[in-house]
Amino acid sequence: MSALPVSVVTGFLGSGKTTLLSRLLRDPALARTAVIVNEFGEVGLDHLLLEASDEEVVLLEGGCLCCKVRGDLVRTAGELLARRARGAAAFDRIVVETTGLADPAPILQALMTDREIADALRLEAVIATVDCAAGDATLDAHPASVKQVALADRLILTKADLADPRALAERLRRINPSAPQLVARHGAVDGGLLFDSVHQRSAPDESHAHSDGVTTFCLRRSEPLHGATLALFLQVLAEHCGAKLLRLKGLVDVVESPGRPALIHGVQHVFHPPAWLDAWPDGDRTTRIVVISRGLEVEAGWLQDLLEVLDEEVKACSSS
Amino acid sequence: MSRHKTARVARVLAGALRVWGVSASVERDPAHAGAFVLRTQSGIRMQIVPAAPRGWVVMCDARPPDTHQGLPGLLRSLRQELAPEAAGGRLIIGSQSLR
Repeated sequence: MSALPVSVVTGFLGSGKTTLLSRLLRDPALARTAVIVNEFGEVGLDHLLLEASDEEVVLLEGGCLCCKVRGDLVRTAGELLARRARGAAAFDRIVVETTGLADPAPILQALMTDREIADALRLEAVIATVDCAAGDATLDAHPASVKQVALADRLILTKADLADPRALAERLRRINPSAPQLVARHGAVDGGLLFDSVHQRSAPDESHAHSDGVTTFCLRRSEPLHGATLALFLQVLAEHCGAKLLRLKGLVDVVESPGRPALIHGVQHVFHPPAWLDAWPDGDRTTRIVVISRGLEVEAGWLQDLLEVLDEEVKACSSS
Repeated sequence: MSRHKTARVARVLAGALRVWGVSASVERDPAHAGAFVLRTQSGIRMQIVPAAPRGWVVMCDARPPDTHQGLPGLLRSLRQELAPEAAGGRLIIGSQSLR
């Protein structure tokens, strides 16, 4: 059985997550979507605003997903999958809507690593909503909102009917240059663009971008890397950069796998197993790795230097 | 080791020190080709010498030399010595497929 796609919709309080989801669920193409809604507070309301079959909208109340109810998320996702397996629920995708205060990283890590659900699910996209009217002030005042943007695969600029999105779009591009931006007016956005193969897109052209304490490094390499180099590189990053590493995504040309690049993806120190593509997704056959970090105060070329030194050591090892 | 490679290793070490929050300098050791001298503001002096084909030897005060097979081991050792309190992580590969 193929793994079911799961996406996470994040975004600060009032940024339009529920409105976005409500509109998306009315799209016939996305009708077979189960939604797990997490609300922070004693009484959940957002799930009542989602127009979908009640059986496929599940509410997690009384705490924030990232810190308090991760176990509930895993259990709820597991129960949804079990219902689907016995034919009691029909859906082809799960969407998790976080609270506005949530740090998405632990949620992603739970989805990636928990034994009960990780094998049955594949992380499809992290979607962050940012409010064009209040987004600037929110980013200024709430570091959690900056992290939500930094971790996203897709950025949805909401309430564009209320405020010009251009200045905010530029700020968001500096925080997360690799995430495509979509503009939503009255919550309307093309659902097909939200959930396409986000992990295979090209890295941005800039080698280094910095904004709101978030620094993005984009590595490129024309020579293939040894598989051992890649493993050591990820190990060193996880070990020494720890929580400063927000997200890493890459398409890597590996010496031992000519013509079949490795797709890599990690959230902080937790990584998916590399996926081996059958072919390069575009004409660009260079290794591209995007590292999004916070508090990693190093020179722009540090990661590239680290990669090169490790590869030289691996080459020396294999030739000795 | 070429000057180019030496400079690259020096930049990696200097960057790692910044990541760990250690105030220190890394300079080429004029007495040994491809070697470095690391000096912290707190007064620690370490000599880091390449050991063919890919290893490193760290010498500090009168202690026995500390030998590492590669850069990952060298970095781990330096961090444990210079910044034991620095937050670190452990690589976890989840079971969930990307495709």
